[in-house]
Amino acid sequence: MAYSRDLIRNFSIIAHIDHGKSTLADRMMELTDTVALRDMENQLLDTMDIERERGITIKSTAVRMFYKHTDGKTYMFNLIDTPGHVDFTYEVSRSLAACEGAVLVVDATQGIEAQTLANVYLAIDNSLEILPVINKIDLPSAQPEHAIKEIEDVIGIPAEKAPLISAKNGTNVEEVLAQIVDVIPPPEGDETKPLQALIFDSIYDNFKGAVSYVRVKDGTVKAGTRIRFMATGKEFEVTEVGVFTPSPKPTDSLSAGEVGYIAASIKSVADTKVGDTITTAANGAKEPLPGYKQANPMVFCGIYPADGAYYENLRDALEKLVLNDAALSFEPETSLALGFGFRCGFLGLLHMEIIQERLEREFDLDLVTTAPSVIYKVKRTDGEEILLDNPSNMPPVTEIEYMEEPMVEAHIMTPSEYVGTIMELCQEKRGVFIDMTYIEETRVNIKYELPLNEIIYDFFDQLKSRSRGYASFDYELKKYQKSDLVKLDFLLNGDMCDALSTIVHRDKSYSKGRAVAEKLQEVIPRQQFEIPIQAAIGGKIIARETVRAVRKDVLAKCYGGDITRKKKLLEKQKEGKKRMRQVGTVSVPSEAFMSVLRIN
Amino acid sequence: MAGIYIHIPFCIKKCAYCDFISFADKAECFAKSYCDALKKEIEHYAPKMKRYLFDTVFIGGGTPSVIDESLIKDVLDSVKKHFSIATDAEITIETNPGTLNEQKLSVYKQAGINRLSIGVQSADDEVLNAIGRIHTFEEAKNSFYLARKCGFDNINIDIMYALPKQSLSSYTATLNKIIELSPEHISAYSLILEEGTELYEMCNSKKVKLPSEDEEFQMHKCTITLLQKAGYERYEISNYAKSGFQCRHNLNYWQSGEYLGLGVAAHSAVRLEKMLERWSNTACLDNYISAPQKEETHEVISKEDEIFEFVMLSLRKTNGFALTEFKERFACEFLEKYGEKAETLQKKGWLCISDEWLKLTDKGLDMQNEALIELLY
Repeated sequence: MAYSRDLIRNFSIIAHIDHGKSTLADRMMELTDTVALRDMENQLLDTMDIERERGITIKSTAVRMFYKHTDGKTYMFNLIDTPGHVDFTYEVSRSLAACEGAVLVVDATQGIEAQTLANVYLAIDNSLEILPVINKIDLPSAQPEHAIKEIEDVIGIPAEKAPLISAKNGTNVEEVLAQIVDVIPPPEGDETKPLQALIFDSIYDNFKGAVSYVRVKDGTVKAGTRIRFMATGKEFEVTEVGVFTPSPKPTDSLSAGEVGYIAASIKSVADTKVGDTITTAANGAKEPLPGYKQANPMVFCGIYPADGAYYENLRDALEKLVLNDAALSFEPETSLALGFGFRCGFLGLLHMEIIQERLEREFDLDLVTTAPSVIYKVKRTDGEEILLDNPSNMPPVTEIEYMEEPMVEAHIMTPSEYVGTIMELCQEKRGVFIDMTYIEETRVNIKYELPLNEIIYDFFDQLKSRSRGYASFDYELKKYQKSDLVKLDFLLNGDMCDALSTIVHRDKSYSKGRAVAEKLQEVIPRQQFEIPIQAAIGGKIIARETVRAVRKDVLAKCYGGDITRKKKLLEKQKEGKKRMRQVGTVSVPSEAFMSVLRIN
Repeated sequence: MAGIYIHIPFCIKKCAYCDFISFADKAECFAKSYCDALKKEIEHYAPKMKRYLFDTVFIGGGTPSVIDESLIKDVLDSVKKHFSIATDAEITIETNPGTLNEQKLSVYKQAGINRLSIGVQSADDEVLNAIGRIHTFEEAKNSFYLARKCGFDNINIDIMYALPKQSLSSYTATLNKIIELSPEHISAYSLILEEGTELYEMCNSKKVKLPSEDEEFQMHKCTITLLQKAGYERYEISNYAKSGFQCRHNLNYWQSGEYLGLGVAAHSAVRLEKMLERWSNTACLDNYISAPQKEETHEVISKEDEIFEFVMLSLRKTNGFALTEFKERFACEFLEKYGEKAETLQKKGWLCISDEWLKLTDKGLDMQNEALIELLY
């Protein structure tokens, strides 16, 4: 028996990193007795270690709660937890499309951030009702009135009734629950119409296969129903439907207005694409729900096992991750310096870091990664256009008519005192100023057009450090643009190291070449001979550094009690040597390959 | 050859670079019960070590000279009572300037101690202060003269280089001043910055700057040149002696001899049955005092590991090892096993192979870690 739609509320929570989204969700679950107190663990929804540690949500999750309102009725809440990072904008938009409302959490000490604003606009675009909530009122530096005014000025929605809460202490969270019923409308829909279920995320389960997280817009789905994925056209028979308590719990059916999961023995999440619409194979919906997009990787890097013998393990690990992450792509590549590995594509830098970290942690792999690259378009003199995601594959200059690089539009929100330094940063990164608006007297929204390849290095870190952590930013891909790009190569003791090659704008090539050479000089350990490090464009050397030869490497002391320890030290030194990559005659430590990234 | 090591884990103050097991400010409360525990441990091992004639005894620390001299004598008496000690045994005690007086030295002498090791470290008071030593060079010199006066004719002086506040000229001055004292033996160690020490933290937080690798190398070369010119022969990576005064106790380690270690954190290596066994005592003072005979770790060394250790240790000595000795110990030819790699090292100028001996060259000694890795792995 389907739950009365009038008593259902589907919503998500929008908040900037650290503004208290997951804590608020935890409190809600506590208050509605969704999770027994003994199972409470901070940040229930963020199940991955990385999510908990970094305080970010990577995968979407959902949870069903039952709330007894002051009107005496019991309401079903479906909270859809969304990722909170610019890399995952599309996933966020699909999660929001599954809701009728969004709880906007604003930190009373910080105000609105660019990320939050971007997501609020996404919510408004999806016609969601916004319920503002002011969090962290327990902190001495809290300025709730300020935050309320900011919400009204910037977003243009009334906020005088916003509950002032402390999710940490549980203050006023009850009021948030009450307002969810009052402010957020119940879902519309018709269970007698053909099935339309929106996939807002999918995960791979070892037993159930790829499981779609869905919001049913119209119709009903139950085990045994033959369904069709409208984007791929593939058909499957439903093995199980269920809801999130927050752990998955099978139910008889899912009907219009409800949120839950559908399992159908599907082999890969590539078949359960976020944003796709599920309908019935027979008498299905004519049209899919709007908004489906193929998620395309924007950032690429080479990932290699630190020890070549682990190539197969790395492939297995990537295959497993791809099962769960349709946005990740990988294909085999080889490097002279690094041997066999994979060129992997990611939605953005954070996505890349997360995948690397998961490979290392969950699969216990030691990796060498090369500096990230974007996709360049190369127009060859023979008229052919190629997409270039690996600098090593750049054709010789003589065969290139011109090259294009991806440009993004970046929105940076910052306290006005940092405008100067941030604009300087954007200029340094070849940015073109578009617009600047004052959100209020002390806060500014700056719009810049920036080359993506400048953003994927240290832009975010620079932005944070130059604004003491106050500026936030968001970007979207705008277009490809002709650009004077060159390939910067590095030679170690005369041998070219392909894994260090990178594509840069000509104006930046000299300074970059020098900086990377200096960095390499720092990270490459002294060896038994002198090592010249050279940066080159084409055949021309533009910078040179030298790693001096090591002249003394011996333990000063070794007596009876030291023998075991000294043996271990030698063992470690040998292991360290083994882990280094041999580029010609030079042993290069793994971190050197990322050094192109981390320069000042 | 066999030796006995006795660890006295007390100091007045911990030096900034020190990562040995040693407790500051505990001597007064614990010295007596600690030495009682040592005696119990001696009695425990006495029956097991019946067949050994020990050639050397080394009382190290910590600072053995901080505790009452009568306790040292007590322990040594017990050692002599329970173990066979050769009549011409080398019996050494480590001391620190500032903890010595005539009374102490004469009791040491009576107890049979015939070799003194004095931790001078530097002749530059600014450097001494920077590494947390409790004495000046003047005091160190006085301790040395006092020892001579008390009849010690086999004295080692420890010095260190690559220390904070130390320049090449400060270090050469130290070398010259030590040479002037004319001890029989000099140990010159380059600083090993050990994790967990005060100095490590100070370097990490940039409060202290150490000499560069190049400066260290110059100091190292200076040590060899100046000491050799003054008649000291380099017989191990960091050890120099006048003819006939090499430290027999330490040579025993480098020749893979057997040794019994007594006291907190002491290590032993003894061939109880056929295989070499190595064990260690607890590093915890309380635990040691309550159960001095208890082992903390115990391992049986495989033949492969024994070979590894033999090469690792004997190549610390400037004369390396005799190929016949290797064959006698391990019943195989070194060159059959490692010949190819040895040859590569020889070509590089790191290793010197004669018909009878295998030893590292000066360059090879400088790069001993690398040489071992290339040779043994």
